[in-house]
Amino acid sequence: MSSRSADSAVVDLLRKLNRNVEIVSKKLDKLIEVERSSTGHFGRPTVDVPEGLPLDVTTLLSLPDHLRKSAIALSSLGEATATDLSKETARVRAVESDYLNQLVSMGLIKKKRKGRDVYFYIET
Amino acid sequence: MLLLAKTLAFHSYKGGTGKTSLVVNLGALYAKQGANVCVLDYDFRAPSLNVLFKAKPDHWLNDYLEDNCSIIDTLVDESAKFNLRGKLWVGFSNPSLEALKNVMSKDRRWEVKALSRTLAGKKQIIEEKKIDYLIFDTSPGAQYSSINALAGADIVSLVMKADEFDLEGTKELSKGVYEALGRKSGVVLNKIPLEQIAAGGGAEKFGKTIEAEVGLPLIDMIPCMCELMAMGGKTIYTLEKPDHTFSRSIARISETLRNM
Repeated sequence: MSSRSADSAVVDLLRKLNRNVEIVSKKLDKLIEVERSSTGHFGRPTVDVPEGLPLDVTTLLSLPDHLRKSAIALSSLGEATATDLSKETARVRAVESDYLNQLVSMGLIKKKRKGRDVYFYIET
Repeated sequence: MLLLAKTLAFHSYKGGTGKTSLVVNLGALYAKQGANVCVLDYDFRAPSLNVLFKAKPDHWLNDYLEDNCSIIDTLVDESAKFNLRGKLWVGFSNPSLEALKNVMSKDRRWEVKALSRTLAGKKQIIEEKKIDYLIFDTSPGAQYSSINALAGADIVSLVMKADEFDLEGTKELSKGVYEALGRKSGVVLNKIPLEQIAAGGGAEKFGKTIEAEVGLPLIDMIPCMCELMAMGGKTIYTLEKPDHTFSRSIARISETLRNM
């Protein structure tokens, strides 16, 4: 196989992989919506953090790794959607959204709607 | 550029382990080799970079954390002073007594903002100044500003002297902070008396003993050199004395961190 056609084959494969990742991501989003609508709550915070604590480094250190990663990414961006944060954390949007909502339910971050988008932020 | 830049933080359990000398010499070496470097003095309780660079900046890092200026305003271009191939930007913290008292008075709500501003500021510096290496010099121990810097780092270099005080404290930091933050970490043993290395069975065995005790890989071991203590704050060895033992240690550290 010539190098040009090999490159072309690799690009095609990457495009296919990208399409498959988007399909999986949409399915995860749907699953999370179904779960939320049936139980009213998706998952439970896995650590006891007293409410009203500020999200400083001492609170960060007490969080489980997956939530700490989201919290640090949000600290860096200030205000962001789950999509923005998923690019920082290299996680699928639906998973990132779930972690952010866990942080909201723990009272560590807040969210607000701007038009069709939901923005997460840390209150200072 | 953001993906290629590396953020390094130098931390220690105790003071006086030589972090500032390591940071300055490492930053200068990378800049001499052609990299764009930014060094930030995040030791707000005992600022010292301003002494070595004889700096009187228009804005301090303290001003940035108080939201009185942008982080770019705090950076001073020190490259021309040393005729470097790359750039060396330095952000200084305010050594005045008033600034030190101000730092001590901060509450947890302020620290939340400081963490955000540290992480956002680091990103802005890397993007706007096209930085290859951003290096934090931090306060020893579990200080908010230090852990904020560690939270923003890709690699944490823990600088220690290998006495019992340092060993026990470092073990605690390793478990409670470095592991918790999930950063790549390693130890730089500094100011180690040759007698201690010999009593430990030689450099390799001594190094492995410390690695096992602390639970972190050894980046490098630098022997104690009295002349460095006399010249502290006056000489950047990697620029002025590149063949010195200390400069060669810094060169090895620079390679190890480049490849981590």
